[in-house]
Amino acid sequence: MSDVVVIGAGLAGLTAALRLARAGRSVTLATKGPGGLQLSQGTIDVLGYTPERVTRPLDAVAAVAPGHPYASIGQDAVGSAVSWLAEVLGPDLLVGDPSRNYQLPTAVGAIRPTALAQPSMIAGEAAGGRSYAVVGVRQLKDFPADLIAGNLARTTAPDGSRLAAHSAFIDLPARRGEADPTPLTYARAMDDEAFADRFARDVAAVAGKADVVALPAVLGVRRSGVWRQVAEVIGRDVCEIPLPPPSVPGLRLYDALLGMARAAGVRFIQGSRIVGFEAADGGTIASVTLAAAGGPRALRASSFVFAPGGFESGALDVDSHGAITEPVFGLPLTATDAGPLIPEVYWGPHPLFEVGVRTDDAGRPAGTDGAAVHPNLYVAGGIIAGAERWREKSGDGIAVATAVRAADHITGGAR
Amino acid sequence: MKRLDTDVVVIGGGSTGLGVVRDAAMRGYRAVLLERVDLGQGTTGRFHGLLHSGGRYVVSDPGSATECAEENAILRRIQPGAVEDTGGFFVTLAGDDPAYADKFLAGAAATGVPATEISVKEALRREPRLDPHIQRAIEVADGSVDGWQLVWGAARSAMEHRAKILTYHRVTKIERDGDRVAAVLCRDEKGGEDVRIDCTFVLNCAGPWAGQIAEMAGASPVEVVPGRGIMIAMNHRLVNTVINRCVYPTDGDILVPVHTVSIIGTTDVHETDPDHLPIPRNEVQQMLDAGEAMIPGFRKARALHAWSGSRPLIKDKRVSVEDTRHMSRGMAVIDHSKRDGLLGMLTIGGGKLTTYRLMAEHIVDAMNEQLGEDRPCTTADEVVPGSRDGRLYTVTHRLEDREEDRLDDPIICECELMNRSMFVKALHEQPDATLDDLRRQLRLGMGPCQGGFCAARAAGLACSEQVADAERASGLLRLFLKHRWIGLWPILYGQQVRQTALDHWIFAGTLDVEHLPQPEEEIVR
Repeated sequence: MSDVVVIGAGLAGLTAALRLARAGRSVTLATKGPGGLQLSQGTIDVLGYTPERVTRPLDAVAAVAPGHPYASIGQDAVGSAVSWLAEVLGPDLLVGDPSRNYQLPTAVGAIRPTALAQPSMIAGEAAGGRSYAVVGVRQLKDFPADLIAGNLARTTAPDGSRLAAHSAFIDLPARRGEADPTPLTYARAMDDEAFADRFARDVAAVAGKADVVALPAVLGVRRSGVWRQVAEVIGRDVCEIPLPPPSVPGLRLYDALLGMARAAGVRFIQGSRIVGFEAADGGTIASVTLAAAGGPRALRASSFVFAPGGFESGALDVDSHGAITEPVFGLPLTATDAGPLIPEVYWGPHPLFEVGVRTDDAGRPAGTDGAAVHPNLYVAGGIIAGAERWREKSGDGIAVATAVRAADHITGGAR
Repeated sequence: MKRLDTDVVVIGGGSTGLGVVRDAAMRGYRAVLLERVDLGQGTTGRFHGLLHSGGRYVVSDPGSATECAEENAILRRIQPGAVEDTGGFFVTLAGDDPAYADKFLAGAAATGVPATEISVKEALRREPRLDPHIQRAIEVADGSVDGWQLVWGAARSAMEHRAKILTYHRVTKIERDGDRVAAVLCRDEKGGEDVRIDCTFVLNCAGPWAGQIAEMAGASPVEVVPGRGIMIAMNHRLVNTVINRCVYPTDGDILVPVHTVSIIGTTDVHETDPDHLPIPRNEVQQMLDAGEAMIPGFRKARALHAWSGSRPLIKDKRVSVEDTRHMSRGMAVIDHSKRDGLLGMLTIGGGKLTTYRLMAEHIVDAMNEQLGEDRPCTTADEVVPGSRDGRLYTVTHRLEDREEDRLDDPIICECELMNRSMFVKALHEQPDATLDDLRRQLRLGMGPCQGGFCAARAAGLACSEQVADAERASGLLRLFLKHRWIGLWPILYGQQVRQTALDHWIFAGTLDVEHLPQPEEEIVR
């Protein structure tokens, strides 16, 4: 028996677990997999597009439509939740301010707004007519340096300045005899100081003149500050650009949060899915059922935080007839028929991905009448309805703000 | 305006057109094929992949059955690289009339289609996912065939015989000199140039678009009724043998294992516009029900992609080539000399992919006759380029190849085991290609992730290999994602929703493709 069972190990689940544990609660976190952070860009988005490009995210948070997850939380609470996370993770992992967006290059050369970024990324801010030397590694297939540089070079930055860019490649295997390395293979190799030095020298030899050398986000995963070492050798600012999964910056955040949560006493159960629950009087959840090896096991607690993600994790399901369900608790959803929500054209809104659980002001799943369906069950992160998180770049902020809201309601606001 | 001069212009880059241009070239005609987009982009690429044993027609159309059986054997010989020897079963489901199987066996014997009844136990042993309540099972020599490999094999063979294959050339006009065809005018869509091809004969193999082409020659209208059918690719090989229902041919009665997927088909609905073929939800549900009837649990399997193809049915019976020596079953040939007083033009409709070689033979025979030539057909004797090792395709081919080169060459499309060298080679062979054009030859983005991981890599390589600048490469990426979606949204359920969410996370979330600088003009080809 714990005070709280948290379900899910993405940004929302880890944030909720850490905040609850630091407030003195006993917490069990149950998760099927390692969460979504390794799929993410490894920065903290608050709000990037409304659909216009956002430069001041908290101001934009104040203006969201009713029904958006931020609407019931408010600008101040979103700001303080995100700031708390930044404080907890510290400036070696996150820098910036939720009231202002960075505009950072992506791995195809688009300029993407985000609120908090890793310190290794921010020299890439697309402003002031910056010039980039985009340097790829021949063996690393997810960093198309030529495409990135070509697109940056035809981009007018949000501040109106014209960017400049050129590209180059180095040829440096991360491991001998491996033709198909992932970003993580390189990141692990960079944890070796000598390899990082070799990498930096090779980059320096081809980079050419530019304000900043843009590199794939593989500059170390366990050893912090690899980017500083590389920048020093090159003698120029560097910026890391996040890659498609597996995301090294995301993994850095995951490792840090996991370590802190463990240090704060959170007990982890990994590799098993929560498949159901038992209710007591008045709809109170008595326990959730863990499909553990050997047979189902009940995890009892006074409160539960459900942070399983959305459609991407399978926490929201669509069957072959188009029926949308949340299979664990059978929670009421904002829509139940996927058919009309799936657009026939790709570019534009995808309303299916706004479907989810609606909540009361405390973050508990609510029916159409707005009343909580289970008084001790809270939801956080991607399961919550009302935002197409990837398009508007709001998923991280929603995860953190709703996790903090749930944790604080459980602890009565105690820190 | 660019000018070319040739004997025969073949219009249409599907299986009919490629069969015809290969045949004509092998008989020593100077031949040019014009295709408005890429080869196999129409009907040929939008079928279920079945290489007919003939079984399907033993009761309903005995002549077709015999033709299919014969052509099946020929294609295995001349294009083995495009054909997988899956074998096929005709199964009587629990609710189907078991007496039909007797008619089937009698029909098979009469038409020369090899067919053997096997025990239900044996059928279930070989295909354990079949409904255990099936009543009877008959084994036939069905196979699966990759329509794109088929047409490219024929194209490369035709080019060896000095034919010109011009893709992205849209016919704009057919000029006459009195009562004779004199020239075909077309637009080179990529090069932005008009081309005039003087010729003595035009073979209109434009399939569902044949009516539009006939009109350009000033022929009286040819009525083509596109018969639309939808197909759904299910992830993995739910079966390794083609499964046919042992009933009179109907909708949703075939499940074909092709490459790494199983394709269920199909429906038949008359449409008016072959350029706009919908994939209606009710037909998707109909296919899923049909799949469930053959394979219990079918609805729980993962659907990857759906598409809609159009059978080129010509309704016009006013004047056709009467001599049946010049006709394949299911094929319609309009001789415009008799119908419209226009010499030097034939319009071809109908037909089946399995008998595409035979159709071509008949069409070129008919042209020979009008031209007073006697040049025999040799297409059944020569193996096409790419198939000369004589090996039939097997689903494990790529795995075997990657075992060989995995230490030297990264995989660009993990789902379909396409490596960097394969992609780069194709890029340089077709530097003007879209990612979809390359997909048809390489299966780029056709697996479970539907381009989620490979599409941006492919665009990056197009840029690095200098076949596209960043603007065009980005446009190609956008176009590819747009096109993949056409076949995704109609079947978006189950694990494919989850995949699509991840793909959105990557493209919208991490890469922000939507906010790349817009091109001056959207890339459409």
